[in-house]
Amino acid sequence: MNEVSESNKQRRTFLGILLGGVGVVLTGVFAWPIFRFLAPRDTGGAGAQVRVKKNLIKVGGAHFFDFQGRPAVLLQPRAGSFVALSAVCTHLGCIVKWVNDKGEFLCPCHGGRFSAEGLVLGGPPPKALTTYSVKIEDTDLVVG
Amino acid sequence: MNIPKLAVDWLDNRLGIKDLIYQNMGGYKLPRNVNIWYTMGSVVLALLGLQFLTGIMLLVYYVPDTEKAFTSVTAIMNEVPYGWLFRYLHVVGSNLIIIFMLLHMMSVLFMGSYKRPRELTWISGFTLLNLGMVFCLTGYLLPWSQLSFWATTVATDAAGAVPFIGEHIVAFLRGGPSVGAPTLGRFFALHVMVLPLGLMGLVGFHLFCVRRAGISQPPFGDSYKPRLFGEGFEHEHHPDGVPFHPNYTIKDVSMVFFALAALVAISFYAPWLFIPPEALVPADPFNTPEHIKPEWYFLWAYQTLKIFPSKLLGLAAQGVAMTFIALLPFIDFGSERRPFKRPLFLTCFFLGTLLFVGLSIWGHYS
Repeated sequence: MNEVSESNKQRRTFLGILLGGVGVVLTGVFAWPIFRFLAPRDTGGAGAQVRVKKNLIKVGGAHFFDFQGRPAVLLQPRAGSFVALSAVCTHLGCIVKWVNDKGEFLCPCHGGRFSAEGLVLGGPPPKALTTYSVKIEDTDLVVG
Repeated sequence: MNIPKLAVDWLDNRLGIKDLIYQNMGGYKLPRNVNIWYTMGSVVLALLGLQFLTGIMLLVYYVPDTEKAFTSVTAIMNEVPYGWLFRYLHVVGSNLIIIFMLLHMMSVLFMGSYKRPRELTWISGFTLLNLGMVFCLTGYLLPWSQLSFWATTVATDAAGAVPFIGEHIVAFLRGGPSVGAPTLGRFFALHVMVLPLGLMGLVGFHLFCVRRAGISQPPFGDSYKPRLFGEGFEHEHHPDGVPFHPNYTIKDVSMVFFALAALVAISFYAPWLFIPPEALVPADPFNTPEHIKPEWYFLWAYQTLKIFPSKLLGLAAQGVAMTFIALLPFIDFGSERRPFKRPLFLTCFFLGTLLFVGLSIWGHYS
């Protein structure tokens, strides 16, 4: 009698493991399409360059644009010299504003200040704004 | 330390869940000769659950705007990973739900299970079938294709046959004189919010009725005897029956898997059955495509409207037929449920089914 019970027990364990295995496989089969469906789509943005018309950036002024899905800014501190920076504040991710009178960036969220080169001038930001390379090609600026 | 057992014991001490599970599973007895037709409701419920899931997935990318709806659906089909799978499952699933709802209804009719004390179960079930069709109608417009646009135009136009206020009803349904952005807005709201809430409430009520009244004895075999009712409430017990779990749940799960297999097979190999070529062209309000037809489950109604000399008569005939079916438990109230002892009913049942199929085929080829 005990032997039968033991055999039954083993069968139950075996069936349990088998059923669990099938369950795991099925979960994977269903979960993968759901994950892929919801995962952010690769828009080919990473590494892609962005062209901006040179005449959009005035000397001493700033021009905001979209760079690989994130806000960025182009400056022309001196005639013919261009700087491209990320416009995302390094503190909590707000978008910085260009203060023309002072020639610096101000984050409206917590008062972080950045220089025209992206360096931290004051406030809570822990590090400088990310800089991007800029090339001049005829009438365009190529960022990235 | 066995954590799952501890968790179950903790809940059991507070809510008595073990007793509740026993009462509704192993201790809940069903008739011994319960057949696969009793599983149709579970199949519909499982498919409805899947519709909710795939519908939520589609909502992530769908844009309810006449300028963007078609593009967003095209993007779901061609660009979003596995988007085609979720859309096909949703489209094919909606059609399978109607098929299984019809099978459910026909088996209930054949076995006379709509009779006392199950009148409310029948009425709520019949309302659910109609709600299912409204669901399909509202969802049909959302891709904003030529098929969506013109099928909705034809379907909403039918209400115009109502005397005096017909035009106003049509305008109210469409949110304007013709199908346009306001129609898409209200159909979208109905499809993703109003109807799901209504459906959930009604499914809950339907299941409550099923559980309270008890499962009806299939009216076959020597053991069956027509049941007589007293004045008060009486749950139909089957003390000599088989336990709900595992005897019946196995049947349920098998049929659910059969339906899922059919759903996946059609979605993979024949989705065009439910997505004709007109569905691949964006809506053009100035260009009606030839031979525009409603979905297969509305073909009988479409053909009825065509064969009557006036639209009003056709609409009235549909209304009479639907009201007759809805109120059947109060018209056919005898206690006899054995199909072969009800020759008049059986004749009406087969003729009615033939009429439905015949009108649908006629409508398809007319």
